[in-house]
Amino acid sequence: MFTILPSVQTIFIITATILVFIGIGSVSYSKNLIKTVMSFQVIVFGANLALFSSGLGGNSIDFMSQTFVLFSILVGASVEAVAFALIVVVHKKYGTLNPREIRRLRN
Amino acid sequence: MSSEIASVVAILLSIALISAISVALLTKSVSVSLITLFYASLILGIIFATYGGIVVGLVHVITFAGAISVMLLTVLLMTGESKLIIGSRQTAGALLVVSIPVIGAASYELLQGAFVINLPESSLSSLLQFLWEFRPWDLLILIMIFASSMIAIANLLSKTRS
Repeated sequence: MFTILPSVQTIFIITATILVFIGIGSVSYSKNLIKTVMSFQVIVFGANLALFSSGLGGNSIDFMSQTFVLFSILVGASVEAVAFALIVVVHKKYGTLNPREIRRLRN
Repeated sequence: MSSEIASVVAILLSIALISAISVALLTKSVSVSLITLFYASLILGIIFATYGGIVVGLVHVITFAGAISVMLLTVLLMTGESKLIIGSRQTAGALLVVSIPVIGAASYELLQGAFVINLPESSLSSLLQFLWEFRPWDLLILIMIFASSMIAIANLLSKTRS
């Protein structure tokens, strides 16, 4: 019945690619630093999904890919925590989270 | 479970993930973005757990749906950027009604591994044993990364610096 369906690995790699492109596009166009960090989080989601799907081939589990996903999750969380602290500092200093407004105030 | 059903489930979960993330990034309200991003984290955790990575799914949900979401909410409240009015009370009630089964299903899936589609030999102990035996340096580096990020945050938010 479902003979033309792609494999799970292909589906997840396509999904991960879409997520990364959505995240990059949103980083480029967002007018709020919090939204920029959220877009970065989406890029991390895409990277994690791509790493996870790289270990899905065959019938045995690939622990290396899962180890890399764990590493990526925890590094991404650390980076986001630092980014949130930077956002608080920037908001204290400039009173806004709009990157263009911050650039104007700096100049 | 057959590969066709696994593919269909993967397509459905992928559509749900992309939809949640699109809503999160396209909406103007930051608080709605926070809620939908929380759901996206849950869906990605379900994807990991369904396809054999129960530990990875658990860590993902704990980190992103738990810690990062709470941190994001704190930042929203500190900066005053949040417009925490979701809409009417009916909308909030509908969100709550939708949330309870989604969170319940995610918890059941993550804790029991109930719908694991393939790779039945994947278990908590085997991945942790692999990590401990073959990748101990990764764990050490992770601890160092956490420590450095905590020091950076403490420096950024310290009163002496301001």
